[in-house]
Amino acid sequence: MSDGARAGGRARPVRTEPPRLDSPCPPLHTSAGMDMILAENLVKVFPSPDGSDKRAVDGLSFRVGPGEMYGLLGPNGAGKTTTLRMLSGLMAPSEGRAVLAGCDVAADARRVKRNIGFLTAHTGLYQRLSPRELLTFFAELHGLTAGDARQRVRHLVEWLQMDDFAELRCGGLSTGQRQRTNIARALVADPPILILDEPTLGLDVLSNRVILDFIVRERDVGKTVLLSTHYLHEAEVMCDRVGLLHKGRLVAEGTVQELLEQTGEPHLNEAFLRIVGESESVLPPAPAPAAPEGKPG
Amino acid sequence: MISYRRVSLIYLKELVDILRDRRALAAMVIVPIVLYPLLMVGSVQAISVASSELRRQIVIGVDPTHHASFHELYHEHETHAALQPPSSLPDPPDEAPEERPEVLLREVRTDEMAQAVRDRLVHLGMVFRSLPSGDPLTSQYEIELIYDPELPRGRSAFDWLSDVLRDVARHRVEFRMSVLNVPIESLEPILLVERRITTPGSVLSLILPLILVLMTITGAIYPAIDLTAGERERGTLETLMVSPVPVMELIVGKFLVVTTVAVVGAALNLACVSATVYFGGFEQALSGREQSGGFPFGVLPVILLSLVPFAILFSAVLIAVCSFARTFKEAQNYITPVILAALIPGGIAALPTSELQGVLAVTPVANMVLLTRELLLGSPVPAGMIARVLISTTLYAAAAVAVAARIYGTESVVFSDSGSIRASFARRLIRPTERPSAALVTLVAALLFPLWYFVQVRLQSAGGAGVLDTLRLSAAALPICFVLLPLGVLWYWKANPAATLQISAPRPRHVLAAVLLGLALWVPVAEWTVLQGRLVGMAPGLAEQNRELMAVLNAAPIWQVVLYLGIVPGLCEELFFRGALLSGLRGSMRKWTAIVVTALVFAVFHFVFFHVPTKAVLGIVLGWLCWQSRSIWPAVLAHVLHNSVVALLPRVGDRLGMDLAELSTPAHLPIHILAPGLVIVAAGVLLARRPASRQAPG
Repeated sequence: MSDGARAGGRARPVRTEPPRLDSPCPPLHTSAGMDMILAENLVKVFPSPDGSDKRAVDGLSFRVGPGEMYGLLGPNGAGKTTTLRMLSGLMAPSEGRAVLAGCDVAADARRVKRNIGFLTAHTGLYQRLSPRELLTFFAELHGLTAGDARQRVRHLVEWLQMDDFAELRCGGLSTGQRQRTNIARALVADPPILILDEPTLGLDVLSNRVILDFIVRERDVGKTVLLSTHYLHEAEVMCDRVGLLHKGRLVAEGTVQELLEQTGEPHLNEAFLRIVGESESVLPPAPAPAAPEGKPG
Repeated sequence: MISYRRVSLIYLKELVDILRDRRALAAMVIVPIVLYPLLMVGSVQAISVASSELRRQIVIGVDPTHHASFHELYHEHETHAALQPPSSLPDPPDEAPEERPEVLLREVRTDEMAQAVRDRLVHLGMVFRSLPSGDPLTSQYEIELIYDPELPRGRSAFDWLSDVLRDVARHRVEFRMSVLNVPIESLEPILLVERRITTPGSVLSLILPLILVLMTITGAIYPAIDLTAGERERGTLETLMVSPVPVMELIVGKFLVVTTVAVVGAALNLACVSATVYFGGFEQALSGREQSGGFPFGVLPVILLSLVPFAILFSAVLIAVCSFARTFKEAQNYITPVILAALIPGGIAALPTSELQGVLAVTPVANMVLLTRELLLGSPVPAGMIARVLISTTLYAAAAVAVAARIYGTESVVFSDSGSIRASFARRLIRPTERPSAALVTLVAALLFPLWYFVQVRLQSAGGAGVLDTLRLSAAALPICFVLLPLGVLWYWKANPAATLQISAPRPRHVLAAVLLGLALWVPVAEWTVLQGRLVGMAPGLAEQNRELMAVLNAAPIWQVVLYLGIVPGLCEELFFRGALLSGLRGSMRKWTAIVVTALVFAVFHFVFFHVPTKAVLGIVLGWLCWQSRSIWPAVLAHVLHNSVVALLPRVGDRLGMDLAELSTPAHLPIHILAPGLVIVAAGVLLARRPASRQAPG
């Protein structure tokens, strides 16, 4: 990541080293200067049998460098979730391609999945398993041996201070405990890339804090983080660069400082409103209105 | 490639998850332990009470003027019954002595008798049309019995009264003959003695298979919903899908859990039913025999074993159906018609007239109910028939799992906000692919299996058609089933037909290899048949069929033999098995697994289970040839040549010093045939060993 990209960063909390795997995931084809995340002209059309197709993502391109935190910002229905699902191999793009650390998602989605930690505010946990059982299960699914998985889970439980509830059933955990379990799940294979979709949506202040601390710590140890949020102040504080998404299209991109200078606004909120307002007058009308986020169909 | 470690991980996790769920445990344990024994006890008692009720009281309508006549006849019967047994034969040991019913007479005028029966005022109307008068040696009663045979009580009353009247009539005849000094035997040149034997377990055999089917389904429903729609509703599906695990492994793991629960549930049910029967003293009521020991406890493990494929099939179907659902409630709605659809063939199979043969043998549910019944009765079921039932069930289960995997991974299933499932199957929205998926070709094979079996059964049972006509019709049906139908599916799913069917020009050395193998493969195949025949014996009737077929083939024009048995089957079968099926499987299987699985499916499609090993070997060679050459044509050529050579061999067999007709006592091939044959095959294998250098399509 370039120094310029870092320039937009803000003061960071005290670094606490999370536990690392000796040999985490099978290495991807990484090399110096290579983009860790590359989206090229991504399009996602949600079809319906009556022919009224909806373009939730419409020709989106951006790239994220190693160790960089990139914020994908936009209002509800902008196409953030769909983009993240395409990048993590959960959805196939209708057009374009997604490449994570040199590996095409369409060609080898499993390999890409081994190297990403995916977290959303809605990610469910198995109610009848304990956090320790759940983490061990996902660690072994990622290819860790039973012994390595146990050790890894022990470290994560210790690091995230989950000892008090590690043996309880997930169904009985508080929201904060569930969030910590989810963080541990996303980190269980020590992936080099984190894809976080509205991770703080609907959380209380304390749970929010836990998540934000976790994100910053992971970025500080060199992980590439792609963060989607519509809380612009979060991005303003944490992200090295941001992309503003509106109706499935990227309407602006740069460091927070660059966007503020470009618009002459004091805060990202106002800058975003101005950019969106300008884009409404410049952009040709979309073939079909993008459905609200989470409800495109 | 499926990783068994990951599948077992998923299996264990899901099993723990399900076993910790109180609702699942209730469905799996409490329902069978409490509900079904209760239901069984209740229904057995109800049937028992109802049947004794039928006999207990009979209401007979008699005209008031004829009461005396009725009493005369009835007392005559009672007197005889008290003096001597009605038959010279003792009661059969397994039949109960008849219970004497309570007879009530109701006064009904003769002209109102039919209406009284219709109005159910009486069970039976007895009309004395004429009364005896004068000579006791020639006088005669003419009696009309009016009843509704649709009413059990009416039938029961008729049976009882006609027995009584027959008994009186017989004694009166005996009396008259003795007066006339004529031996009674002169009137009865044939003495017909009716003796009813209740087959052990016959009543049970009709009920138990259906009960077992229901129990197996009941146990599987809850976990199937919970592991698919339930997972999606709870939001854990996205978490699981973002893990580096292929959808097929997820589905197989979940499917194994549902199967386990279904089998354990069925075993629990069976154990509970047995315990209830044994300790509750219901053996007699269930087995339909008076003596105890009628309930065949010994066959219960066999029944449970035969239930495993059914549990596999139904678990797969339930998983596939529930995969469509986005919520628990939606899944429950989808399951109701599935259960009804399962009960229809199950109900047909439970009819006493249904037999394990024909299309029923490959009809899901029906074949399992019939097989269970046959096993319960201890009937000898041919191994080929058992194989047919098990293989068809396994094939359907594989297709259901494949379909479940196809649906489960669909975006519209994983994400509730990604459009309708219907949209996922609309042709215009399907993205073109080079080759079809394994799920799709497995589904086509599963659909083709009963279809082709049905065609074969119809062709063979077509009255009047000779062997050659059957071959001609079969040759006409082959392109429809094995070419047009798969091509239609490939078109719909936008798979590239040329790449899928490997329509590309082969290398000359592979063509030469195909010629050599096609001409000489019959030699090792014949030797194998000899060895197999000596080891396990020939299937009964097979040698006779072979002899008949050879006689017809020897008399038929050569072009017809080559066309019907060589060219058409060779081309059509290769286009489907080595074309569509192998292409689909190669995407998710290793080379040899895909070739062997294709060959086994190819073998069972011939429906002669004695020939399965030889057909499988032939299929492996053809699959390997196709794989090496990256073209369908060498396999087609080898298949056509092989079939033609085998069909024409009987014409020249004598000259080669072979007696091919005597397949029932097969002899090894003479060395002057065997040695060159094996050398030619070896040459063909050597030639085809080097694969075609260009890249395989896709």
